[in-house]
Amino acid sequence: MKNFFANTWKHRAHVVMALPVFLILFFIMYVPMAGLVMAFKNFDYSKGIWGSPWCGIDNFKFLLASKNTFVSMTKNTLMYYVIFTVVGTFLNVVLAISIDQFVFKKAAKVMQTIMIIPVFISYAAVQFIVYAFISTDTGILNNTLGMSTRFYSTASIWPWILTIVKIWNSVGYGSVLYMSVLAGIDTELYEAAQIDGANKWQQIWHITLPSLIPMVTVMLLLSVGGIMRSDTGLFYQVTRNSGVLYSTTQVIDSYVLNAIFKNSNFGFTAATSFFQSIVGLLLMLFANGMVRKVAPDNALF
Amino acid sequence: MGKRKGNLADLAPSKKEKKGLGQYILGFFLLLYTMFCALPVLLVFIAAFSDETTILQQGFSFFPKKLSLDGVNSVLRYGKQLLTSYGVTIFITVFGTAFGLLVMSMFAYSISRRDFRLAKFLSIYLLIPMLFSGGQLSGYVIFTSYYHLKDSLLLLILPLCVSTMNVIILRTYIANSIPNELMEAAKIDGAGEYRTFFQITLPLLKPSLAAVGFMMATAFWNDWQNALLYITTDSKKPLQLLLVNIQKSIEFLLNNANVPASARAAMGGNIPQYSSTMATVLVVIGPIMVAYPFFQKYFIKGLTVGSVKG
Repeated sequence: MKNFFANTWKHRAHVVMALPVFLILFFIMYVPMAGLVMAFKNFDYSKGIWGSPWCGIDNFKFLLASKNTFVSMTKNTLMYYVIFTVVGTFLNVVLAISIDQFVFKKAAKVMQTIMIIPVFISYAAVQFIVYAFISTDTGILNNTLGMSTRFYSTASIWPWILTIVKIWNSVGYGSVLYMSVLAGIDTELYEAAQIDGANKWQQIWHITLPSLIPMVTVMLLLSVGGIMRSDTGLFYQVTRNSGVLYSTTQVIDSYVLNAIFKNSNFGFTAATSFFQSIVGLLLMLFANGMVRKVAPDNALF
Repeated sequence: MGKRKGNLADLAPSKKEKKGLGQYILGFFLLLYTMFCALPVLLVFIAAFSDETTILQQGFSFFPKKLSLDGVNSVLRYGKQLLTSYGVTIFITVFGTAFGLLVMSMFAYSISRRDFRLAKFLSIYLLIPMLFSGGQLSGYVIFTSYYHLKDSLLLLILPLCVSTMNVIILRTYIANSIPNELMEAAKIDGAGEYRTFFQITLPLLKPSLAAVGFMMATAFWNDWQNALLYITTDSKKPLQLLLVNIQKSIEFLLNNANVPASARAAMGGNIPQYSSTMATVLVVIGPIMVAYPFFQKYFIKGLTVGSVKG
């Protein structure tokens, strides 16, 4: 123990350097963790989090009783996670291989630069672009196809719209990581395969794809930890937060955001948040455990 | 990166010589996807310069019948607010990124010191927020009713300026690419801890700082959520919140067809129009798109480094 203090004193400069981040994390991340006790309280703004009376697990009973909201938003959160992960990963890999195989390297570089741009546009701006395409009277889609679909009040169509927007936003960016793996493949492998008479498809199937599998596995496993969190902007901004669409567009994160603005139903929302954080923690531990088995170097801890 | 040319390469046709039909088909599909990515952005540009009545009659179009500068001009009608918001956004982006980079690299440096016993605890302390979080609601209540920071720019800066992943990227870079001997040598030459950090480590950290810095700057520039939650005064509204407000007021007018003229006047004198809205969007997303190609190589490097923990 004495050694420990002596060591810390010797490194006092490092303690000072670590202090700002320590404090920021403490006040911004750690204190709100304690605020999760709200889930077990009958929250009253005037009494504050600690002063409000305890109410046991009433909030959670309420949660399970309200099938429509809680079940529907949890279902949506999971559904979009699955769609985005499956479609996204597939397209990331296809795009990375396509660009890697394309022999006109200059053109490939320019195209890749353009494909990454959408990820830098905020959803607050994206929703205006989406509106230009799908608004009822002035939208390009309705005008070109001679339809008059009311997209902003047709819930069933939104999983498609959101998936397309998500692809547009993130596939170019997501493929960068896989491209860096492809750049590391020894070209001699391809050359040897050519001599053995392998055609392009056989080379992709037997050399390119297998070399991507470790990275795909790691990324998939790591993404499991984030199942309960969504890209809030996509669900809140792009849908214009339209209540008619909630049945297919409301996810946990956008629900909580709405609840904060409406300043209501704190018990229910706190219970939802608590559920989200705990499930998130368990999934994260599970994901990391799996990664540690498959690829120890990529594990977070 | 293993792209060595051996004897085999001389025998087999090199990749470059093969520009068969397949390559052109592949190129065609890549071009299609590039257009899918680029056209929506192009539409913002075209709509910003389209005539308002043309949009109302013809709808949004890549080939508007009539072009006009009205949209861009009327952005100037937001005039003062737009300038103020630009100022706020630039301030939080520049200050937030610089401050975040400084404190994160100091932390990364500290926890990568060998023989520093507290480093282990600090690493775990850093990691926990990545696994577990209090969530939006609890954060909102704590920040507003305990810290009393409602309407403070601090809430646009602090929540975004430290992230576990970014510290890990910086720490990995320090551990793998900056030889510890350099730091040791500096100390032997009599440089103190702080001087060693600022004069030896920080300059060598530049590539990693550029990568992390660009990603942070984008996050600051694009943040609408914290602004929407916390900022109420016009003089503190960043650009993204301005966009959200424009959308909300369009919505309000659409849903309330019989808003009296006086109310409309109170909302800034004019209904936000399609062309001017798009011009505003253009003004908001423009700077990032101009800056991005210059940072591309750093940010691709950062992305790649971030995926492999040291």
